[in-house]
Amino acid sequence: MSVIVTSQLTKVFPGDIRAVDGVDFEVAEGEIFGFLGPNGAGKTTTIKMMNTLIKPTSGTAVVTGFDVIKNPAEVRKNIGYVAQDVGVDEYATGRENLTLYGHFYRLDGRTIKRRVKEIFELVDLAGYEDKRVSTYSGGMRKRLDIAMGLIHQPKLIFLDEPTVGLDPQTRVHIWDYIHNLAKVMGVTIFLTTHYMEEADRLADRIAIIDLGKIIAMGTPDELKQAIGGDVVTLTPCESGDEACQEFLRQAQSALSGKPFVLGMQPTDDELAVYVNKGESAIPNIMRLLANEGIEVESLSVSRPSLDDVFLKYTGRTIRAQEGTATTYVQMQRKRDRR
Amino acid sequence: MNLLNDIRFQILRHLRTLFRIRVWIFINLVQSLIWLVLFTQVFDSLGASFAQLPGLENASYLQFFAPGVVVLTVLFGSAWAGMGLLQDIDMGVLSKMLATPVTRVSIISSRVIASMVMLVIQALIIFAIAVVMGVNIVTGVPGVLFAIVLISLLGLGFAAFSNGLALLFKRPEPLMGVINFVALPAVFLSSTMMPPELLPGWLDTVRYFNPVDYGVVGVRDLVLHGYIWSDLWRSTLVLGAWATAGIAFGTLMLRSRAE
Repeated sequence: MSVIVTSQLTKVFPGDIRAVDGVDFEVAEGEIFGFLGPNGAGKTTTIKMMNTLIKPTSGTAVVTGFDVIKNPAEVRKNIGYVAQDVGVDEYATGRENLTLYGHFYRLDGRTIKRRVKEIFELVDLAGYEDKRVSTYSGGMRKRLDIAMGLIHQPKLIFLDEPTVGLDPQTRVHIWDYIHNLAKVMGVTIFLTTHYMEEADRLADRIAIIDLGKIIAMGTPDELKQAIGGDVVTLTPCESGDEACQEFLRQAQSALSGKPFVLGMQPTDDELAVYVNKGESAIPNIMRLLANEGIEVESLSVSRPSLDDVFLKYTGRTIRAQEGTATTYVQMQRKRDRR
Repeated sequence: MNLLNDIRFQILRHLRTLFRIRVWIFINLVQSLIWLVLFTQVFDSLGASFAQLPGLENASYLQFFAPGVVVLTVLFGSAWAGMGLLQDIDMGVLSKMLATPVTRVSIISSRVIASMVMLVIQALIIFAIAVVMGVNIVTGVPGVLFAIVLISLLGLGFAAFSNGLALLFKRPEPLMGVINFVALPAVFLSSTMMPPELLPGWLDTVRYFNPVDYGVVGVRDLVLHGYIWSDLWRSTLVLGAWATAGIAFGTLMLRSRAE
């Protein structure tokens, strides 16, 4: 049974900003579904349409069996939502935060007591129930934040960028926790992230979203296999200046049309070459470039990552997306979303 | 039933928050005390000539101004009520809450009622201080209770409008701007500081459009003059309408601006 089914789900913000543009996907029960894309791709907007915080401009979404437009109240009962911002009350204790949410979900006092105890153990916060949240560390707050979305044992939980701003250790901790949630407790998880590694580690299936559209969907392995065997990354120069661009163009033309090259994808300062076997391709690449008098500063071989997948479909790396010229539009969108 | 429970649990949350901010309690208590002492010192020079004015029946400025301080405290306290909601919006608490089945109306009404509870406590303390300083409340305890009803309605309206504006702007700057723009003129465009007899003619007209004046007139009647029902009925009705309008505005903003 599908926990989420969307059809041509679209959100247009004032100013004709198509934040989400005709998105179709299904999420099966017990699955971790990853929504991967750069900041401003439309991930949060998609979540907010599914959890009833904003109304779709057109299209439909059926969440836990209920239409988000016709029956938002039923949807809210069945879902948990963990936003990107940690939405916990700092002046309250952990227990007070959880208890309030227990009441919001219409649990009776005894059930709330029992669930609070269970959940604090589950998120590894036992002993901190009666401490003020203002004394919690960032990782503890995030775990409490996730716990608040779980108090009513929802069928489905939305996690919007669950590890943004956390240190690497805490991140791994949260990952284990999310994994257990789905695999041990059977909660369906819809997760957005702009971290390739996170989607790769956690998600059973991934949709890659860019500029409001899904550009690829499948299991992490399927997506990577679509690229081919190995990725050889050439770095001819250090910065993305004019001379560097020229190098990249020359290198690309030197290699184009060669039978061992499955595809190529340049960025500002690198050239990704997709090949069947990296080890045997390197000597060929070196020879071809030397013939053209192109010097390469460094060269690496790797298995394709989701980063390469993103690059293949969009011509950009996710890393390069952060803090670029699109930031203004994103901020604009972010403000409209609030 | 759900609605009442939602309101109850959120009121507890808001009151808990306020009581945990110790500075806040301290400042609020000291503030009213300072107003009572400082203002009466400033206007003390009016002395006997002030008391001879018509309608004052030999009251001191302290006696005249004490009801004003109560109203001022309620006005300023409730006008800023939206800041707490802004904090919730900013920290992501509100949107997280809106994704739960919580009744929408309870979000605003619980905040407004919690503000009222705090302000009523403060008002009672000011009344007590005023009595200690020598103010004679002619209607006694029932009068004070009536006064509490009037200022609750006044504060309810301001707190609800403030919360509504917080949702409308979603930023502290414009909200602060509006409050500063409205609050102080609302005081001076009323008979809070000066008896109506001393106000210029145009101001005496303008004050009829100012909810603060209805609060001041009502509370002052109860403290100085007794039950003047013509004033008291008008104040109750106008302030009731004011509070209703505020709640309607706040709820409307929550429904339309929650996106």
